[in-house]
Amino acid sequence: MIEVEALHKLYGDLPAVQGLSFRVEPGEVVGLVGPNGAGKTTTIRSIAGIIRPTRGSIRIAGHDLATDPVPAKMALAFVPDEPHLFEYLTVEEHLRFVGRLYQVPDVAQRIPVILEEMELAARGGALPGELSRGMKQKLAIACGLLHSPKAMLLDEPLTGLDPVGIRRMKATIVRRAEAGAAVILSSHLLHLVEEICTRVLILNHGRMLALGTVAEIVAGRADLAGRPLEDVFLALIGDTEGGD
Amino acid sequence: MNAAFRYLVWRSARNRVARQLRQLRQPRYLAALVLGLGYLWIVVLQQRPTSLASVGVEAGLVELLAALAVLGAVLWSWLFGAERRALGFTPAEVTFLFSGPVTRRELIGFKLLKTQLVILLNAILWTVVLSHDRAGLSTWLRAVSVWVLLTTLSLHRLSATFVRTSLREQGWHGLPHRAASLLVVTVVLAAAGWSIAEAAPAIAASWSRGIAEFLGALRDAAHGTVPRALLYPFALAVRPVTAGTPAEWLSAMGPALTVLALHYVWVIRWDAAFEEAAAEASLRRAAALTDPRTGRIAGRPVSRSTPQLLRLKPEGWPGGAIVWKNFLAAVRFRRVRGGAIALGLAGVLLAVLSFYGEGTLAELAGWFTLTWAGVVLVVGPQWVRNDLRNDLLMLDLLRAYPLRGSTVVGAEVMASASVLTALQLSLLLLTFLAFLGNETLEPGLAARGALLLGAVVCLPLLNFHNVLIQNGAALLFPAWVQLGPSRAGGVEALGQSMLLIIGSAVLLSAILLLPLAAGSVVFLALRPHLGLWSLIPAVPAAAGLLALEGAVTVRWLGRVFERTEPGAALAVN
Repeated sequence: MIEVEALHKLYGDLPAVQGLSFRVEPGEVVGLVGPNGAGKTTTIRSIAGIIRPTRGSIRIAGHDLATDPVPAKMALAFVPDEPHLFEYLTVEEHLRFVGRLYQVPDVAQRIPVILEEMELAARGGALPGELSRGMKQKLAIACGLLHSPKAMLLDEPLTGLDPVGIRRMKATIVRRAEAGAAVILSSHLLHLVEEICTRVLILNHGRMLALGTVAEIVAGRADLAGRPLEDVFLALIGDTEGGD
Repeated sequence: MNAAFRYLVWRSARNRVARQLRQLRQPRYLAALVLGLGYLWIVVLQQRPTSLASVGVEAGLVELLAALAVLGAVLWSWLFGAERRALGFTPAEVTFLFSGPVTRRELIGFKLLKTQLVILLNAILWTVVLSHDRAGLSTWLRAVSVWVLLTTLSLHRLSATFVRTSLREQGWHGLPHRAASLLVVTVVLAAAGWSIAEAAPAIAASWSRGIAEFLGALRDAAHGTVPRALLYPFALAVRPVTAGTPAEWLSAMGPALTVLALHYVWVIRWDAAFEEAAAEASLRRAAALTDPRTGRIAGRPVSRSTPQLLRLKPEGWPGGAIVWKNFLAAVRFRRVRGGAIALGLAGVLLAVLSFYGEGTLAELAGWFTLTWAGVVLVVGPQWVRNDLRNDLLMLDLLRAYPLRGSTVVGAEVMASASVLTALQLSLLLLTFLAFLGNETLEPGLAARGALLLGAVVCLPLLNFHNVLIQNGAALLFPAWVQLGPSRAGGVEALGQSMLLIIGSAVLLSAILLLPLAAGSVVFLALRPHLGLWSLIPAVPAAAGLLALEGAVTVRWLGRVFERTEPGAALAVN
């Protein structure tokens, strides 16, 4: 479970996130959407423990990220939008490395399974420089999934994947959620969010604009009833900008 | 020169400096600047080395020594030069320039223009150092001389890199395009080898008779026909720097500028040769494709496996994963197994040779390996960078790992320190074996063995602190430290490197002060009772304190790591 309470993040005097509170229960996939500069990446990086919130608290699987960071991060997987890989580790060595970091005892058994799941079985001995952009992304995702995390933070996870890869990845995300993981997925692909997310969190200017299922969000807007998420999103953002 | 390139270089440099200056709003950067300026004042301005001329060494000899140093630097760039750094383009440069309407000649020009930034900075540093006791020549003239020399050396290094890279890439197909370059290099290497072999006995014999005799023997050796011809172009290049009067400088500048111009033409001529050789190599590659489905080139398998010895176990200290990762990065693609076998064979050979004849060859090798062990101790932490200096570029990832900051810092440092220690101990072991049969050398065999054992205890700690200093600087001042695998290098950046090495040595001395004092107290207190055996409690006492200092520093840097935010701190890199 992921619990965010009154999260504030300032960069100097610039507020990136302001008073954000929400929970993601096990089995849920929450889509984090918003225009550029809305605070999505700051929110995800704060929850991943990469940057320190200015105020507020974050709990992962019951562990406070500020006071108990190691157990909190043990339960977490973070997949960034750009795959950061080590130049001199092969695909398989990346997984062994992550296995040791997260103390996965049966890593030797898990590696072939996850390589198969990510269609990387034939590339186990390849270095990142020998992989395509999509394969690198798959490896980054494989590293995130290896330790069966209870909470997953995915930042634009489908970038660079081919249509088959996208379909498999969507299935993987849903399957992990069904197995009990709490998932936050940040993406500009609103049809993807609509397809696999159980709830949507819309951010703008660092503030929460809406949180709930698409049906819940449009409940107060009769003009948006039955419209796709993209229309709902544009209407809500348009309202905010108009109010500015 | 393309105006867009000039704009790019100028604006990038200006914005970089402006950004670094803005960091001064943070107290730690301001404090570092004040300390750095104080350090420069003491090291460069107050403690400038006394020139050789002022201690009675004649001007000709100064020129000879300078020419020898430059020859050494040139040979080094041919034998051990780092291609990636010399030919390095950033990803943005590759994206914008390589795909843009830009000729290869213009690209080379851009590379030269960029190198000038480093050369100008280092020319200023060297000018300040060399200005001491040079009343006859103005600082400006000296600065121009240093700039000409450094630019010539930089061009030479770039050309050497072109030859080495294209030979490696195109193999024998590219040979006709660089036959002239290779012929000159072969002749120079042969002449250098022959000259050294001819002069070595006389120079070695003079060493024991004092420095004056040694310099005299060196000068005599350089007067031979082959050495004089070999050193002539190098003497031309350094003559303006060693000139004592404006008139001497003026007459020396013409030939030096000619050498510079010839180098420029040499570099620019690579334009055509590079294109032609690249075309041939493409054809060869196309013919060598064995599997059109995978596009694999024959004889170059794309997969590799981890040696059993280097397999990582899933259980154990989590920081071990980072040590393992960095260790693999340091040894991957280097022929470690072959190197270890060669080392073992060399050790056996040296040990046997040390018992035969007068053991001169073994002795020579022994001094060589000992010198290199020292060089690796001092300069090694700048060469081996598989630690935070590399990984801070992926701070996002490191921060997401379930590890305490101190674990990350300790593990990162440990990896580089282990590689350096292994290298130094191997060299020291070779030194020990090279003198194994020598019964006259002081200290004696038993003492040399004890010193080797002492090195086994002390070197890991020394290296740990040495690498920790470099990593601490990267963590505390990421905006001022070059992050990533490459660093400013080559002769043109020698001034910066020297300042860094001296700065690290000063810090290391401060760190060693307390442990050495404690060890000395223990040694002196027990010596009346135990004699030399008092070293046995003294060394662990010193080593224990050193380890404690290391642990405290790692803990502190770990907290710094946990507070460091990726975006703001690393933006400059």
